[in-house]
Amino acid sequence: MSHGGHWVFNTVIGGHALSFNLDTIFTMWFAMTVVLLFAFIATRKLSIIPNKLQAISEALMRFFWGILDTMIPSDNRKHVPLVASLFLFILIANLMGQLPLRLIHLKSGELASPTNDLNLTAAMAVIVLVYYVFMGVKKKGPKFFLHELSFTGIIMGLVEVLEMVTRPLSLAIRLFANIFAGEILVTVMLGVCAYFLPLPIMLFELLVAFIQATVFMMLTIAYVSSATGDEH
Amino acid sequence: MEELKTISDLAQLGGGVAIGFGAIGAGLGIGVATKGLMDAISRQPEVAGKAFGFFLLGAALAEACALYAFVIAAKLVGLM
Repeated sequence: MSHGGHWVFNTVIGGHALSFNLDTIFTMWFAMTVVLLFAFIATRKLSIIPNKLQAISEALMRFFWGILDTMIPSDNRKHVPLVASLFLFILIANLMGQLPLRLIHLKSGELASPTNDLNLTAAMAVIVLVYYVFMGVKKKGPKFFLHELSFTGIIMGLVEVLEMVTRPLSLAIRLFANIFAGEILVTVMLGVCAYFLPLPIMLFELLVAFIQATVFMMLTIAYVSSATGDEH
Repeated sequence: MEELKTISDLAQLGGGVAIGFGAIGAGLGIGVATKGLMDAISRQPEVAGKAFGFFLLGAALAEACALYAFVIAAKLVGLM
């Protein structure tokens, strides 16, 4: 088992050398399909008396609304599409790392959770960056970058520009490293004793999957909140 | 004792040092978070469930610092 090794497919499109991690792409589409199928089936036959699936999705929606109401003071429920799809996708992606998909042998790499690839988490972090900068500029205009024309104002503006780099970086590496470290931990435990010893670690990884999806969503909401909120 | 000569030997050493120092910070952070949780629960036992949720979030954020060190260590050792 080679960790961090991916099934890389190199090609040249329009003069640019591109490399695709095919195993990540496959598992990502798998997770996306699960989320899309859930959304499609849950919203197909809506009724006043909800069936089980509709009740689950209504509870999920109420969960997102509750978090948004507590963290963003006003005009908050329009952020549900981004926040909910990030949470559901990351949750499914993390959880499918515990499925026995590794039994399918690839040329190199393995079918684990797609979030063990830094490219995927970095892409999601960049989406969050673009979203909150867009929301901030839409709400405040140029004052998003420069609150006031004074020494402290300029210093704070520079610090915020620095945060635009560090926030996506920490978002991406946090999610990636948690999943990657979990896989390595399971492999180390497999090496110590292959029978029953990795089991508690894998159960802990289920908890980590939930917590990391929640952390990513919470930080996204916190960034959007700080970008659109009023200054003190 | 055999000397550490090549770059890759020293990189292994550096990986160990990196994850070790990273773990110190995360351990302190999770310890402080647990102390805060225990204080909160002993003051107001009825908020235990809510406080535990926030504790998990804070502990995950503190643990992430050790995982940044882990990424550096994995790079140095050659895991990734």
